[in-house]
Amino acid sequence: MKEVMAFIRLNKVNQTKSALAENGFPAFTCRKVLGRGKKSVDFSLVENILQEGELPLSPLGEHLTESTRLIPKRVITLIVEDDQVEKAVETIIRANQTGNKGDGKIFVLPVQENYQIRTGEVAVDAY
Amino acid sequence: MLMIRSIIRPEKVNTVLTELMLAGFPAVTKMDVYGRGKQKGVKVGDVFYDEIPKEMLLMVVNDEDKDDVIKIIMRNARTGEKGQFGDGRIFVSPVLEAYTISTGKKGL
Repeated sequence: MKEVMAFIRLNKVNQTKSALAENGFPAFTCRKVLGRGKKSVDFSLVENILQEGELPLSPLGEHLTESTRLIPKRVITLIVEDDQVEKAVETIIRANQTGNKGDGKIFVLPVQENYQIRTGEVAVDAY
Repeated sequence: MLMIRSIIRPEKVNTVLTELMLAGFPAVTKMDVYGRGKQKGVKVGDVFYDEIPKEMLLMVVNDEDKDDVIKIIMRNARTGEKGQFGDGRIFVSPVLEAYTISTGKKGL
């Protein structure tokens, strides 16, 4: 069993949802997160703009200059069987790929056991 | 590859994120979490708080960067010199595969 964690754009959640359902992965968890990626923002540029007065000195402008600026994302977590990992990853990539930076990342983590709370048993198909 | 999940105080998040950026680890995900630790929460007077707000920082790094990242988080998330109860925890778990969606390539 594997856990597939995908960090995706906000506006791609619905497409991903239907794509996953079509390919036989109806069960997943989604949550709101904030994050940043490898692409570092050059904050001196933002400061220059602010000093030249092109951007209004609003709370938003101040927010932009913060060095720890984070971008809102959604993280989708699904548990799949070992032989289904490839299919799940492919489905998510196909639904989310725009070719631009910021499309997101997918991580595959191992899962040792899973239990179904309703029956209290170690269920093979609890996901 | 390893996933480092650190649960830290919300007021320390900015310092930790800035230090990580300066050290060359820009990629981080942050989420709001609520929880309690070994001390069973906090008792203020007669009121017991056991859902304490914390922030979870999640990052995936190469094996050789693990110690650096943990050191940075440890140093910056502490309260005072010796640290206090409630400063948080760091968990490390293995990651088998990583994909970049924009290129479809494998790896970090």
